[in-house]
Amino acid sequence: MLTLTNVHKAFGSNKVLKGVNLTVEKGDVVAILGPSGSGKTTLLRCINFLERADKGRLKLGEIDISLKHAHSKDVLAVRRKTAFVFQNYSLFRNKTVLQNVTEGLIIARKIPKDEAIKIAKEQLDRVGLSDKYDAYPNQLSGGQQQRVGIARAVAVKPDVILFDEPTSALDPELVGEVLCVIKALAKSGITMVIVTHEMSFARDVASKVVFMDEGVALASGTPKEIFVDCQEPRVKQFLARFNNEIDYNI
Amino acid sequence: MQYKNYSSILDNIKELLPYLSLTFQYVLLALLFGFIFALLLAVMKLCKYKVLRAIAQIYTTIMRCLPSVVLLFVVYFFLPKFSREVLLIDIDDVPKILFVVLTFALFLGGFLSEVMRSAYQAVSKDQMDAALSIGLTPLQAFIRIILPQAFYYAIPNLANTVIYLLKEGALAYTIGLIDVMGRAYQMNTLSYSVYPIPIFVALALIYWPLAIVIEQLFKILERLMNPIKEDKKTAGQKLKGFKAKYLGFLVQTPKGGAEK
Ligand SMILES: Nc1ncnc2c1ncn2[C@@H]1O[C@H](COP(=O)(O)OP(=O)(O)OP(=O)(O)O)[C@@H](O)[C@H]1O
Ligand SMILES: [Mg+2]
Repeated sequence: MLTLTNVHKAFGSNKVLKGVNLTVEKGDVVAILGPSGSGKTTLLRCINFLERADKGRLKLGEIDISLKHAHSKDVLAVRRKTAFVFQNYSLFRNKTVLQNVTEGLIIARKIPKDEAIKIAKEQLDRVGLSDKYDAYPNQLSGGQQQRVGIARAVAVKPDVILFDEPTSALDPELVGEVLCVIKALAKSGITMVIVTHEMSFARDVASKVVFMDEGVALASGTPKEIFVDCQEPRVKQFLARFNNEIDYNI
Repeated sequence: MQYKNYSSILDNIKELLPYLSLTFQYVLLALLFGFIFALLLAVMKLCKYKVLRAIAQIYTTIMRCLPSVVLLFVVYFFLPKFSREVLLIDIDDVPKILFVVLTFALFLGGFLSEVMRSAYQAVSKDQMDAALSIGLTPLQAFIRIILPQAFYYAIPNLANTVIYLLKEGALAYTIGLIDVMGRAYQMNTLSYSVYPIPIFVALALIYWPLAIVIEQLFKILERLMNPIKEDKKTAGQKLKGFKAKYLGFLVQTPKGGAEK
């Protein structure tokens, strides 16, 4: 459903992506792991054309375009079939919670206002924010803001939602509520790509795990194939600490 | 010449008030044209072409370093001469107020372009990303998400600009424009400088409430848009930062801007 082939991206002389391939099937929950600076965020941003890749192709449904030369019409089409959940929430500060969710429905997808509000309220109720419709982002906790961010993404019924470390800007006690919401979404069959440092979340929720290092997808497979069976030294080294923690817990 | 009695402050205020309309006229017109000009300069400053950026920057610097009365004289004395001798068009009949408007529009162009640029840059980058990611076009994203937020950040500086213009505009009397300041000056001359204090106190009593009203209106506006404020700490710091950086140059900042 979503296929990326040979994605390259450099910032000046800093080659960040060096030929990434990624396949996401409908209903997949793909977790992307990897050390800091390996290009995970950049990859997600390239998919949504928030960053222009230097090379590579993107297939999404019937759309099949070059990541470098895509026309603005195709870019818009891809953006309207995908949604992005940002590490630092990135809610619209000049809009209320409800307006944050309806914006993409009314303006981008031309859904009538009443209907948009109905959809938005449904999604906000689903993430447990039925009492915050009229609040502004700066009146919410980080966890609440991120749940709005998720509602905003889900409301547009995207083919795939891209999450960039959705919990890493949160206080530890708020991480749980957001992970819970994402877990529920995963169960409902929404296709998702999640960059995360929450190892146990990736292991328990993902249907597929991709390990990125130095700008390439070094290994990919089921959680078991990556967490337990993988023989790639870089992956083993990266996961060692996490696996050790589990040992202690047992 | 007839000897006039201007000893009553109250009477002087009554006498001066009608002339305020001319002051309002050039303030509003200069703001309007200055704003349009500033928009152009701000776009140049933010565009990717180095030459355009440099031109806009140099222009701003020149305006910044020029006392407004000097620019007023240049415009008032040079432009008609230039027009007559080079363009062969006689503009001697053009009302004086237009020279004032032109002067301050040129001036505000540089000033406001800096306000716009810094306000635009104060909006976090992620707002544009988020708007694009939900499928808005870049233009929709700019108009619906970026512009309202940039406007919020610009409010304190806009208030400064309007008050600054109101005060600097008083210099228009130097080319003989009879606005509220011009009239006060005229009254003083007519009365052989016997009553400077009642006359100019009356003038001050007109300017003060006006400036206070303008200041308060902008404060209300800012409060209405308060939700945009990031969080109490960071937004305050940000505004302080860009005020110090971009506004130190022209005005002594009137009290009461962004930070409480
Ligand atoms: N806009 C940019 N301009 C210049 N360099 C950038 C930009 N964005 C990212 N980089 C560089 O690209 C590299 C990869 O960054 P990226 O954010 O994709 O890593 P990441 O895998 O998401 O890391 P983390 O786990 O810390 O979020 C880094 O070296 C970073 O400095
Ligand atoms: Mg990242």
